[in-house]
Amino acid sequence: MHTRESPLEPDPVIEAYKRDVDRTLIRQHLRLTVEQRFDALMRLQEFAEELRRAGEQAQQRPQPPPRPPQ
Amino acid sequence: MTDFPKLLRVLARGGVEFIVVGGAAATAHGASRLTIDLDVVYHRSRDNIRSLVAALAPYDPYLRGAPPGLPFRWEDSVIHRGLNFTLTTAIGELDLLGEITGGGTYEDLVAHAVRLELYGIECLCLGLERLIHVKRAAGRPKDFEGIAELEAILEERRRMS
Repeated sequence: MHTRESPLEPDPVIEAYKRDVDRTLIRQHLRLTVEQRFDALMRLQEFAEELRRAGEQAQQRPQPPPRPPQ
Repeated sequence: MTDFPKLLRVLARGGVEFIVVGGAAATAHGASRLTIDLDVVYHRSRDNIRSLVAALAPYDPYLRGAPPGLPFRWEDSVIHRGLNFTLTTAIGELDLLGEITGGGTYEDLVAHAVRLELYGIECLCLGLERLIHVKRAAGRPKDFEGIAELEAILEERRRMS
């Protein structure tokens, strides 16, 4: 089923972005099964949803005035 | 929230021919970026569209972001007349793609797919190298970081093997 791909030519723009990729995180993810990777994605989705909800709630609440400088 | 296991099971057990692409395919290959929808390229055959419509019908597919009350009906003829559909369903966000930029149709992509076994089903997922090709071909600046991560995954996989 899987056809061998022609090698990718390096793209200078992508190479520049690649310098900031966290490879420790990639190595950690590559040790997981595909199912564990999707489970992690869903936990991340739940967390993002909770942050969004908390952010909206904070916007609606009156905020205390900023403290004067000491 | 998108229930990825359930959406995949519904499609696979409904006998739908599809290939996981986009952010979910990147996740399958080890990417850590957040994606909120499941993107699949589906086979445009008459039988497959029938299976697709039957499999998703219990989950009320509707056009994502469209105002309620539009005359959108989830039926074979609608899928035949359209091509790509961004849907919201009772089990999550689903992009049904008849064709993708830089990748083509199901028939074009199937030779570049890998078989995934997960959540008790088997399904096809676009291979990592083709996924990179497709994202590069799309040329969207918002994808640059994601492509860099996928290429780093490819390098790490080669280093580990």
